[in-house]
Amino acid sequence: MLMEVRGVSLRFGGVVALDDVSFDIAKGEIRAIIGPNGAGKSSMLNVINGFYRPQQGDIWYRGQKRESGKPHKIAGEGIARTFQNIALFEGMSALDNIMCGRLTLVRSGFWKQLLWWGPAEREEFEHRERVEHIIDFLEIQAIRKTPVGQLPYGLQKRVELGRALASEPTLLLLDEPMAGMNNEEKEDMCRFVLDVNEELGTTIVLIEHDMGVVMDIADRVVVMDHGQLIADGIPAEIMHNQDVIDAYLGVAH
Amino acid sequence: MFYREVGDYKTTYADDSQTFPIRFDRLRYFFVLFVAIAIVPLWIDDYWSNAVLVPFLVWSVAAIGLNILTGYCGQISLGTGGFMAVGAFACYKLMTQFPELNIVFCILASGIVTSAVGIVFGLPSLRIKGFYLAVATLAAQFFLVWLFNKVPWFYNYSFSGQITAPERTVFGLPVTGPNVEPWAQYLICLAFVFVLAWGARNLTRGALGRKWMAIRDMDIAAEIIGVDPLRAKLSAFAISSFYVGVAGALYFAVYLGAVEATEAFGINQSFLVLFMIIIGGLGSIFGALIGAAFMVLMPIVLKNILTGGLNWEPSLATHVEFMLVGCLIMVFLIAEPHGISQLWNIAKQKLRLWPFPH
Ligand SMILES: Nc1ncnc2c1ncn2[C@@H]1O[C@H](COP(=O)(O)OP(=O)(O)O)[C@@H](O)[C@H]1O
Ligand SMILES: [Mg+2]
Repeated sequence: MLMEVRGVSLRFGGVVALDDVSFDIAKGEIRAIIGPNGAGKSSMLNVINGFYRPQQGDIWYRGQKRESGKPHKIAGEGIARTFQNIALFEGMSALDNIMCGRLTLVRSGFWKQLLWWGPAEREEFEHRERVEHIIDFLEIQAIRKTPVGQLPYGLQKRVELGRALASEPTLLLLDEPMAGMNNEEKEDMCRFVLDVNEELGTTIVLIEHDMGVVMDIADRVVVMDHGQLIADGIPAEIMHNQDVIDAYLGVAH
Repeated sequence: MFYREVGDYKTTYADDSQTFPIRFDRLRYFFVLFVAIAIVPLWIDDYWSNAVLVPFLVWSVAAIGLNILTGYCGQISLGTGGFMAVGAFACYKLMTQFPELNIVFCILASGIVTSAVGIVFGLPSLRIKGFYLAVATLAAQFFLVWLFNKVPWFYNYSFSGQITAPERTVFGLPVTGPNVEPWAQYLICLAFVFVLAWGARNLTRGALGRKWMAIRDMDIAAEIIGVDPLRAKLSAFAISSFYVGVAGALYFAVYLGAVEATEAFGINQSFLVLFMIIIGGLGSIFGALIGAAFMVLMPIVLKNILTGGLNWEPSLATHVEFMLVGCLIMVFLIAEPHGISQLWNIAKQKLRLWPFPH
């Protein structure tokens, strides 16, 4: 198992966002988290990447229990994510945003960067080359130098995915990557997710509302409602689980 | 028509990340450098040195420093005057305590001292942002100036509270003190500006610059992609203060020769540098230079036109200057936060397409 979530509870004052949630994430799988709005899905991702500290429970990553951890350290351990509400760096171009994804991999120290010539410059071009591969893969060559604020929503989502991919993560967390997209854009995004999973072996946790998408690409699904985990299994099982139908599918359809 | 990138294709990432990607820009850059190093020193006189070029160069260093902190890292500071005072007094103490020490080292060491002070006053930025941080840096401004007035050790117990730069030489040439030649004064400042602007350009184009900009644009997302906010913010304070400290040392030792803390390093100077980067362009090294040039030249040009040409009262001309600066600040903040340097880029973009805009 790449990660195990054990008995995690998270409260905000009186609001119970997560209530004794346990599940695991296998290496190389696509794990979907579904559930109605306010179920605690985004909070779960925030716990996984260290942004929220749960009051109870542990996170085990690569067989080790996570002691305290700052989000920037956890990023350095190979966990990357995208956000439900896009969180790009508005003052920078698409290229620079994606280059930012590689900041955890930069080796040149202060003096080398100050001098620029030699190691720092060479390293910059190595990163640039990797980033250009990602840009080709996501088919965003034409908007490389465009400030991200000027891009339409769908492309911003792609750039954000690119930034997460640039860090060459072991575990990639995607918070509603297809929300607000039309079918064509969704298909593209599905293809990117599947390609990343298959070609790079990246483990992916994906929050998604579209059941069709989930059934198509997820290996296993966690279903949440009111902060609790109500079902966990392969998509075909989940589809026929009565609790899930009541809590989520019944509402959505 | 001649300003084109046609036929100037970029085939490597190295070409694409050049400071001056278009050959014409590169040529112009070398031309300006040549004029600055080889031609200007030949005709520079006291007036050009003291009224125009040396202040422009000194303020450029301060503006680059503040732009690193505010323009790149998004941390507002109103303490620039105070930090310049740290640089000036550190330089004075070093010059007088260690007369053997080369002035260039004194100035660089003053930058390092200021950098340490900057880190201390940067600590609140880990907790507070925006307006509150601005107020905290304002407190630093008043505290530092008060300190340099209050503690006589800083001005070597001199009767007036003034500090005066003794004569120091570089390669046998006086660059501080009463016997300094205008061209020597100019060249030493130019050397500092050249090296420091180049260093700032390198730091801001690479990984550290991206960390700063990530913190500026969205600190939470920056943290989640792996930027340590503590190190990013404090490194911005440290490096920015280094520049501002060097500017303070040059301002005192090379430009004015003698200063008094309240007068030379008051809150007005903090605002002056802030105006430079707003008008020149936030988040641009070139913008810092243009902003400094603008704020140094504008009053001179206005004065020549209004009092010299139109025979206005000098006091009226000063009022007009204030109003003009105020309007410009508002216009740039609202309409073009990237300042003159961005207008320049847009103009170039247009020129590139001219005469067929589509
Ligand atoms: N930072 C926060 N402060 C207070 N309450 C929060 C915070 N984040 C999430 N919550 C609450 O936790 C619950 C779960 O939210 P969230 O994880 O965003 O759900 P989902 O992503 O499944 O829609 C909601 O009731 C929400 O209001
Ligand atoms: Mg959510």
